[in-house]
Amino acid sequence: MVGEKVIELQDYVKMVAEQSEQRVGVKMEGVTESVKIEEIPVKMDSEKMEEIQTKTALLPIPEVKLEDVKESEEMKEIMLASKTEEVKQKLEVTMAVVKEGETIVEIQVKTEEVVDVKKEGDKVVEEQMLEVNKEEQQTEAPPKDEIQPVKSGKESLLDLLGAMKVEVTNKRKFKALKVQRTSETAARPMPAAMESTTSMFQEATGMADVPAPAPSETLSPELVAAVSAAAATLPSQSQAESELLKKLRQHEAIGEAQKNGDVNNIGVIIADMKVGKKPNGRQNARPANQIRFDEDGRGYTHDRGITAELDGGLRRRRSLFSGKRLNIFTPSTEPEADTDIAVPTLWDMELANQVALSTNQMPRNGFEEMIQWTKEGRLWQYPINNEAGLEAEAQVPFHEHVFLEKHLEEGFPRQGPVRHFMELVVSGLAKNPYYTIQQKREHIAWFRDYFQQKEEVLKEAEVYLN
Amino acid sequence: IPKKKTSSYQFDIVTNNNHSCSDRSKWAVLQALASTVNRDPTAPHYMFQDDPYLTPRTSAEFKLYSLSQESGRMAANHIVNKNPKFFQKDFAEPHIPCLMPETMELCIEEVSEAALLERIMLRKVKAAVDMYDQLLQAGTTVSPDASNDLLDLICLYGDRDPVQDDKPEAEDVQEEGRRRKGRLRRASDLVRIVWRENNNAERIFNLLPERDTRAYSALIRGMVKYGAHVKAFNTYTDMLNNRLTADVHTFNALISAAPEVRERYTEKWDLIVDLLNQMNEQKVKPNLLTFNALLKALRRCGSLARAQSLHTLSEMKAMGIAPSLASFDHVLGIFYKAGQTDILQEVMTEVAGRTFVAQDPDDGMPVCLDTKDIEAAYKVHDLLRVGENWRMLGDSFQQSIYYGRMFNLLCMMEHIDVVLKWYKELIPSLYYPNPQGMRDLLQALDTDNRLDMIPQIWKDIRRMGHDNKSDLVDELLSLMARDKHSPEIQESFAVCALDVKSLYEQGQGARMALEWTATAMTNITSVLLAAQKKQQAWDMLKLFKTKNRVPSEELMEEFLASIKSSNDPQHAMELVQISASFCLPSTPKLAERVLQAFELSEEQKTILSELEVSTEVSE
Repeated sequence: MVGEKVIELQDYVKMVAEQSEQRVGVKMEGVTESVKIEEIPVKMDSEKMEEIQTKTALLPIPEVKLEDVKESEEMKEIMLASKTEEVKQKLEVTMAVVKEGETIVEIQVKTEEVVDVKKEGDKVVEEQMLEVNKEEQQTEAPPKDEIQPVKSGKESLLDLLGAMKVEVTNKRKFKALKVQRTSETAARPMPAAMESTTSMFQEATGMADVPAPAPSETLSPELVAAVSAAAATLPSQSQAESELLKKLRQHEAIGEAQKNGDVNNIGVIIADMKVGKKPNGRQNARPANQIRFDEDGRGYTHDRGITAELDGGLRRRRSLFSGKRLNIFTPSTEPEADTDIAVPTLWDMELANQVALSTNQMPRNGFEEMIQWTKEGRLWQYPINNEAGLEAEAQVPFHEHVFLEKHLEEGFPRQGPVRHFMELVVSGLAKNPYYTIQQKREHIAWFRDYFQQKEEVLKEAEVYLN
Repeated sequence: IPKKKTSSYQFDIVTNNNHSCSDRSKWAVLQALASTVNRDPTAPHYMFQDDPYLTPRTSAEFKLYSLSQESGRMAANHIVNKNPKFFQKDFAEPHIPCLMPETMELCIEEVSEAALLERIMLRKVKAAVDMYDQLLQAGTTVSPDASNDLLDLICLYGDRDPVQDDKPEAEDVQEEGRRRKGRLRRASDLVRIVWRENNNAERIFNLLPERDTRAYSALIRGMVKYGAHVKAFNTYTDMLNNRLTADVHTFNALISAAPEVRERYTEKWDLIVDLLNQMNEQKVKPNLLTFNALLKALRRCGSLARAQSLHTLSEMKAMGIAPSLASFDHVLGIFYKAGQTDILQEVMTEVAGRTFVAQDPDDGMPVCLDTKDIEAAYKVHDLLRVGENWRMLGDSFQQSIYYGRMFNLLCMMEHIDVVLKWYKELIPSLYYPNPQGMRDLLQALDTDNRLDMIPQIWKDIRRMGHDNKSDLVDELLSLMARDKHSPEIQESFAVCALDVKSLYEQGQGARMALEWTATAMTNITSVLLAAQKKQQAWDMLKLFKTKNRVPSEELMEEFLASIKSSNDPQHAMELVQISASFCLPSTPKLAERVLQAFELSEEQKTILSELEVSTEVSE
């Protein structure tokens, strides 16, 4: 049974490895991996689990144990050495988690790697990838796990992938690393493109979305497959995978230990998990949703984790205006009539001047320039109006312009040639669109004066009849 | 109108002058039309549209052309105003006042109040003061309004005549609203006028038969403006002793002066609170400028500022005064000093989608792009596109700062495709990047593996006149030389490299020449080698000798590899000889490899072995 599963797993790993070769582009030739799982009898019991959860919730979190980390880092070092020397090497790592001489779980991971590293320059890349990898591992146990470490396989997987999704934005990180590298060693060749990491994460989560509800024996093959898929997205796949699997097994082991009623051991396991969380504790101090400084010292990244998004959704940002106020002024309800509208003082003009200077007044297109001209009074106003420029006459009704006979009532003879002449003048003025009413009145008044001055002459000629 | 009680802060724009609505309708049609015109990212700014020959390509040209256009207009205005008698014919019907010459000269010679008012209107400070003195000597009383106007004038200009060149310009701004003087900081702005002891303002103030609020206000504002802060406060106490109440402008000036007269932060704040309380007691209604002065003063109150600035904003809300951009700018300044960047998010959500009208000389887009937060940068940019907000960006100098920061941020944070999208959008119609901006772009290209864009970018660099910046050119060359690419890209790189080379050669005569550096030469040569341009590369190698530069050993190796692929022993010989002439330490190794790799004649072999030996001996 176990053998079958292992074969299945190997197939899966191969498949994913091929993909990762294409995508990641790091030269890995035929990475095969066999994972032997020795004697992890785990039976999951949902009732038991709940019990454990309640118990663990009450447990104080024990101190951090560092052994585990050291071991895994050692492994990395060995792997690195083998790569640079271009030798095939078999790795047999036995990891034991021991506390007080009591063995809880023993996992033997046998890794067989054939890695052909061609350039020495790649070593640097590998190192950096490992660094990234380390960061990925940090997300393995999100803070939640400290409180509720016991979960079913599926749940924990989702947790795991969810936690990894937090770092999906790590394209930036790669970028930042690359920038750093280029600035350090400008002459070195570029590493292969890593653009596709994001999509692979999506792929992996996509796979995780469909796992059939399998009875959890040791570790369900779907689980293992998903783990290797997730690990394949990382540059040093085998290592990440073994780490992930180990973590899963720890989850299961907790269940096992609980079943045996050995409550004390949970503390040990929790301690292990905490260790696995953040080896260098860099991200610990940083609260979610805050801008943080990258290590390369060049840019900031805005971390948008799942938790941050949740936070943003839950606590609506407090408004700028919600706080206390100075409580000095009392707002008056009735609007005060502004008295200083009358004449703007020099100060007001100066202020307006400065305000105008602080803004950009350059027109951006022809229409805006026309607006400028309109404001300056150089342009006809739109919509076009025949009476533009005749504002002075706007208040004058038309009959004032047309019926001008009433101005002849005084100062003119009632009849005769002068009267006749003036009627002609008035009818002419009535049709004149260019004179204002004032000008028309003045025109008539001029004739009135004229004829009064010439009254004697006219009387002699007997044309001034009154 | 009953106000809606909503959680979000609804700002009501209070328009004091009712006729602004009818004013608006005058150009409503044009505004609607203008809103249909989109910016053409390939076109230069509208003001350069008339003459394609004067399309600016660099920021220096932009500055030169736009300023010369402006100064041409001003010169014409100056001539018209200086010689009004030649420009009396009024062609326009109806009459257009702004086309007619303005009277700049004094017309009224006699000693009268009308003459005084004329001098005040023309802003001739000294002449007005003289006229006032003459009036007093003649025993005529000056009306309170006229003397207050005079006091305003003296205080505004600090008892100096305004700079003569400045004056027509300043008036243009008021009347036309489009002239701008602040493009370049003048020396005259930097030479601060200080409030002198017992100047004309104080003298005339003391001569006044009765001093009202307006006279005190003018004096205090003048004192604050020209740095006599303590004196301003003394005048204020004097004013209170005379049982007068101050107006809002006086308080605004005093609040802005408050940080100057106290040492400690708490004392400063106490003084400001005291002033505000007095305002309330005297039933003076604060305005936007009051609160902006308050926030500005808070910037100098250290740790107190953060809490109090938020309280101030709440107070503004309670008073129904909408904060302007300057208010937000001050708040941001306060919080940034304390290293708190969260506030930006809140400010941005508050201002998003609103249009701003300048109400305060400090109004302007808060340059908050130093946070290196690309999301915020996008938000600011969106805000810029709302309504007339683009005007708030200020003059072209501030614009170039804004776009420079934005572009820098984009290069740093964004994927290269996005960066290039913005590059096309902004450059060169809105922004002429400086050499640093181009280097950022090159780095962004490098980060995202789009080095194939380099030849295109090089064209832009040349067009923008940055091709004489040797560090930029060096960086470009080293990026091209660093990696191996496909043959097509190598070909285009080689063309680009030859272009750079020609620049080095022709530049020697014309303008500030680029100095050949060893790295630049090495990089050009290796680009040419990679593109299989052997002859040109060979020319470059010879150039090393004439320019007294030493090629690197790696370059020699590359040469040897290239020669090996074409199997040309003659060139190989020559290479070794060149190497020997540079006294490169690797010459023996090179000679040895040539001996092994090529079939050489006896004669050549002897020469080579001699070289091998001689250099070993010399070592």
